[in-house]
Amino acid sequence: MTASRLGVAVAIVAVVAVLATVPLFSSDVIVQFGINALLLAVLAQGWNIIGGYTGYASFGNSVFYGLGSYGVAIAMVQWNLPFAVGMIFGAGLAVAFAFLLGVPVLRLKGHYFAIATLGLAQVMSAIVSNIGIAGQNIGLVLPPLNNDHLFYELSLGLLVIATLTVFWLTRSRFGFGLIAIRENEEGAAVMGVNTTLYKVLAFALSGVFTALAGGIHAYWITFLDPDSAFDISLNVKMIIMAVFGGPGTVLGPVLGAFVLSAVSEILSSKVTNLAGLFFGAVVVAAVVLMPRGVADVMRQFRTAGWRYFVENLRAHRI
Amino acid sequence: MSAILEVTNVTRRFAGLVAVSDISFTLGQGEILGVIGPNGAGKTTLVSLISGTLRPTSGDIVFEGMRITGLAAYRRARLGIGRTFQIMRPFPGLSVLDNVAVGALFGHGSGESDLAKARDKARTQLEFVGLGKFASQRAEELGGPNRKRLELAKALAMQPKVLLCDEVMAGLNLVEIDEVIDVLRKIRESGISILVIEHVIKAIKRLSDRLLVLHHGDKIADGQPDAVLSNSKVIEAYLGRRRA
Repeated sequence: MTASRLGVAVAIVAVVAVLATVPLFSSDVIVQFGINALLLAVLAQGWNIIGGYTGYASFGNSVFYGLGSYGVAIAMVQWNLPFAVGMIFGAGLAVAFAFLLGVPVLRLKGHYFAIATLGLAQVMSAIVSNIGIAGQNIGLVLPPLNNDHLFYELSLGLLVIATLTVFWLTRSRFGFGLIAIRENEEGAAVMGVNTTLYKVLAFALSGVFTALAGGIHAYWITFLDPDSAFDISLNVKMIIMAVFGGPGTVLGPVLGAFVLSAVSEILSSKVTNLAGLFFGAVVVAAVVLMPRGVADVMRQFRTAGWRYFVENLRAHRI
Repeated sequence: MSAILEVTNVTRRFAGLVAVSDISFTLGQGEILGVIGPNGAGKTTLVSLISGTLRPTSGDIVFEGMRITGLAAYRRARLGIGRTFQIMRPFPGLSVLDNVAVGALFGHGSGESDLAKARDKARTQLEFVGLGKFASQRAEELGGPNRKRLELAKALAMQPKVLLCDEVMAGLNLVEIDEVIDVLRKIRESGISILVIEHVIKAIKRLSDRLLVLHHGDKIADGQPDAVLSNSKVIEAYLGRRRA
């Protein structure tokens, strides 16, 4: 058990080391694809905290992304502050949002929570379109920094921190509280879990990573407007990636983001519409055939074989 | 015997229905109090009012001299009130061991912050209720009787001062009921006061120091088990009025 765990740890460190050296010998296209994939993995991992571990399917994570993007943009463009300060500002906005709106919204469960958070993203986009300091609906143009290697390493670093945080969740009192909430919220409360506080903290933690990814993306792309910053389809993407990879697992969402980014990239280079269709098909297939994600398939497939998929189909009574 | 829990004039309405009506009673330190009553008598509502998943419409609940009537469920748990659910509520995706570890991590006081130590405590409780060999199974894989034991182990891992048991014997066979009675007696010997709701009258009569009878939300009897069970109101509630 411990030996195999050590093996996994060594393998992961090796993979991260290899990923870190990718920009040294790769083309610009690969590095740009890498930045996108790494940032999407951070988003999927961020969603994993509130959606995968706490069991609250948030459609409001694109708000965190937008706040992180605007935090960096406003700090750098309007106040001439350094990028790092903008990142902290953006993360701070996300935490404030999580506490202010998390408390009322996290009282809702299931579909109601999903719909309420969906509404938040729309509202935020409309609000930001009317704020002068955020460039209203025209948006903001950031000072360009032509250093894709730096953005790549920043994204990789953020993904490593997000994943280590999720790993810590699986072995901490806090993480157990979140899982207990996901499995049975009333049961968790009578066992002493402060459910309201824990849910808001999970929402905020999820928001911090999402906002930081948004901040890096904004500085990299150098342009930002309300529609792209608070884009719902990005939220849908992070859910698909996390669910495809395995929600509530440490590495599943990262794996899901990498695999789906690669496939979608290949498809969209052939026929543009195919990529969109592909994501739709993935959602259906993932939910029906492998509701516990790729990570679970890899664990169970060895013993159960193809029966694994058949049993999942049966469980849905299709 | 000093009271650890005092319930005073507690009423709970659901819209028009009065589930619990103006009920008062005490649970003594180290006592086993049995609560019986026909279906719909308000037994589970009473447990929910004490554990904090429901708030009373009126009345007061005092635990160890402290008024807890408006306190959130998690704070009552940390004060030392543990409960089991009639409709079993394990954390289905977690292992049996980790289900119980949640109780040790949170629960009475501020709980155990170290996961390994919490799992050690959980293992002790699992052995105590006889689930030791199921520790690594997923909770959803347990059968009915073992789920009842799991509910007990989860509550015990919280190291409560008061244990509220909502029908931990329902659906068990005679041998299993004897085992649970044995476990509950040992729990009491360890200094925990127990309020136990049960349908199985024979079992609860053997186990309880005192019996409380609810009927349509009212308390109709409270006293020594033998006296209560021969009370004409109680017999009427269970069997109906004898036609003269």
